[in-house]
Amino acid sequence: MRSTRRSDALALLCALALPCALAACSDPRSGPRFAGAHGDDAAPQRGGTFVFHHESDVRGFDPHVAFDELSNMGIKLLFDGLLDYDHELHLVPRLATALPEVSADGRAFTFHLRHDVRFHHGRELVAEDIRWSLERMLSPATASPGVSYFAQLEGLDDYTAGRAPHVRGIEVLDRYTIRFSLREPDQTFLNAIAMPFAAPVPRERYGPDAVEIARHPVGTGPYILEDWEPGIRVTFRRNPRYWQPGKPYADRLIYELNLQRETAFMRFLAGDLDHVHRMTPADRLFLGQSAAWASYRELKPDADLWGLEMNTELPPFDNVHVRRAVGFVIDRERWSLARNRALAPLGQALPAGFAGHDPQLPEAQVRDLARAKEEMRLAGHPDGLPEPVTLWIGEGPTGKAYGELAQANLAEIGIRVELKPVSFPIYLRETGRPRTAQMVFGGWSQDFPDPATFFDPLFHSRAATPTDSTNRSFFKNSTLDALLNRARSERDAARRTAMYREANALVTREAPWAFAFSNIRLEAWQPYVHGYRIHLVWSNCFRDVWLDLPRRRLAQRFAPRPGVPAALLPFGGAR
Amino acid sequence: MDVRALRRFRKNRGALVGAALVAFVVTTAALGPLLAPHAPDAQFPDALDRVTGLPVGAGGRYLLGADQLGRDVLSRMLHGGQTSLLVALGATFLALVTGLSIGLLAGYLGGPVDTLSMRSIDVLLSLPFLLVAIVINRVVDSPSLLVLCGLLGGLSWMTLARITRAKTMQVRELEFVQAARALGMSQARIVTRHVLPNVVQPAIILGTTLVAQMIVAESAMSFLGLGVRPPAATWGTMLSDGVSMLSYKPLLMYLPGGMIALTVFGFNLLGEGLRDALDPKV
Repeated sequence: MRSTRRSDALALLCALALPCALAACSDPRSGPRFAGAHGDDAAPQRGGTFVFHHESDVRGFDPHVAFDELSNMGIKLLFDGLLDYDHELHLVPRLATALPEVSADGRAFTFHLRHDVRFHHGRELVAEDIRWSLERMLSPATASPGVSYFAQLEGLDDYTAGRAPHVRGIEVLDRYTIRFSLREPDQTFLNAIAMPFAAPVPRERYGPDAVEIARHPVGTGPYILEDWEPGIRVTFRRNPRYWQPGKPYADRLIYELNLQRETAFMRFLAGDLDHVHRMTPADRLFLGQSAAWASYRELKPDADLWGLEMNTELPPFDNVHVRRAVGFVIDRERWSLARNRALAPLGQALPAGFAGHDPQLPEAQVRDLARAKEEMRLAGHPDGLPEPVTLWIGEGPTGKAYGELAQANLAEIGIRVELKPVSFPIYLRETGRPRTAQMVFGGWSQDFPDPATFFDPLFHSRAATPTDSTNRSFFKNSTLDALLNRARSERDAARRTAMYREANALVTREAPWAFAFSNIRLEAWQPYVHGYRIHLVWSNCFRDVWLDLPRRRLAQRFAPRPGVPAALLPFGGAR
Repeated sequence: MDVRALRRFRKNRGALVGAALVAFVVTTAALGPLLAPHAPDAQFPDALDRVTGLPVGAGGRYLLGADQLGRDVLSRMLHGGQTSLLVALGATFLALVTGLSIGLLAGYLGGPVDTLSMRSIDVLLSLPFLLVAIVINRVVDSPSLLVLCGLLGGLSWMTLARITRAKTMQVRELEFVQAARALGMSQARIVTRHVLPNVVQPAIILGTTLVAQMIVAESAMSFLGLGVRPPAATWGTMLSDGVSMLSYKPLLMYLPGGMIALTVFGFNLLGEGLRDALDPKV
């Protein structure tokens, strides 16, 4: 008995020593395994399998319902829309032959469809499909989060109330021509048409008696869903009937799900993943500094907005001075430092690059402790708040880090903060409910390159709804509402920009949010991957990737993975 | 502990090492907040590199370096140790009290009390510990220290209750208990004066190893983000915070991880030493 106990102790000591020994002899960070590939100017090659990933699970691929980054990564492969964006974020035609003809009053848009587009199951795409799909999305039965983007369509109210069988503003003129008419001009309507919400689906597969649409999506996109193991991976195969000759290039795309950031990065370095995006700050730092990866990475400021959303209906944030105090006490420079420079400090309601953003905005929220204390005095709380406030954060290390940064900043003006970490579905549900969450750490990414993509969902009183509110500060200001409505239909670009600048100043001054930062995106891919760049609207859109195959096979032959049996690797190590 | 047991304990080197480790950990935890050079949740601007934002390493103003938000690691270790140990001791105390009382009652009274409690234990033992802890933690929604103690203690008294019951059933039939009963002593008095002192030994041994288990369980919960509220530190939360910096600042994981390992090791050695000393038959 004694001897076994002694050996227990010995085993424990060994167990303690092992990780230290491992850490001492293996540096997980390394350069690319398959370096030395062609430049991007080489002719694209067909074939091969491209593997990408995300850290959570995908909900589904119904383009009319899904409204998240994860689902959209797959939807952009399966579906095409009438319009698309190039990498400079200009609208370009996709299923349409050209950009639409716009009527003189700016209220009607006529699209001509390409004649060579077929759905995955072989039937030709016609104008009637566009109308049927849009009406399916707009129907209350679908409960799509995209309806509000099409609110200006003529006759939409009659259709959603069941008084009309069709939306009056959607007319099929002939087999390949369709016209949309609006009640009032809307400068964001074409952006709405480019969203996946307007993607055409075949009626015979998506009718009311269709089964499992979410699991068997049919579209016109370059890839077809081949297999879906829930929570593990989704496999896409090339659409042989795709209308763009020669495209897509890769035979298969594999979407690995639920990969933790650390694991994903290790697998990327080992050559198991072809692309990597979200990383821990330390992995990011390594990738950003590594000379070996310099040609295979891209760093780009993201078009998003992050900060502390304060519920203007609940004390203490019903007082504008308290809100301003929070805006002035946030130390954006320090946040950036603590996140290893992965973010760009931002003190106003529009990220850089959007019409209406002003780097010299006089109302901008900047770190100024004296002004913050002055605002607390004006609010009647010179010594801080007697009660703590609750800050809702998403669970996980990222939310916690920002929560702790906010705690330290707000303590400087006497506001004690209690953190409330919740899972993502609960976070969405509860923070979108009136008079529930006092303060929320959250963000918003652009849906299209136009300032309305931030203002209308975040600060328009129309977006403060009883459930699933996107206006999570429940900010209501009639001046702003009127300004946003006018800006949305204004056709003169300069006047429109001036209106959004005014809206930006108003929101920043009223401070429903303490604006904090925009992210800086960093992504990397294996040297043999071509045809991929960061797209700021379609995050991670892989439909045009191609693989430099012969070189990759060579690299694999000469660099076998030491000690790992092929059976343990995904797909037996073969692609 | 009688003299013979004490002698046996002093001869056992492993037990002495364990006792020393435990004494060291308990002392630092008790004095920790007094020894800490900084406030545990103060974020220092000069503790992060001005260019990369990486925390400074060990030495200098921050003896063991800083963490990714610029907080002093040494101060967090000392405060965190106190919290970790408090939770572990509190949970163990709760488990001991519950396990002993239920075991005593079931063993002494027998009959339906015994059947009911033993079947309940069967059910409780069949539940996976971490899963139940996570579910309860979600329902309670604000993980305070007390909740955490209750949770950990409430889920770990079953083994002790079983052992105590078995021992109580033996002791109940011994002559001196029957003599006490014949003399007309009350049941409560018999249980507390005569039965309890004879079944308490396994509880002491088990309790010591239980402290070690509780430290690991608390760390696991904190690692999963279910432990104490931020910015309070425990070794478990420090371990979990350190993961993201593993490739740059491994010390952020090795320090709390090492302390957890040392503490667990110490309590386990002590527990085994106590068993050898108190119960040489085993």
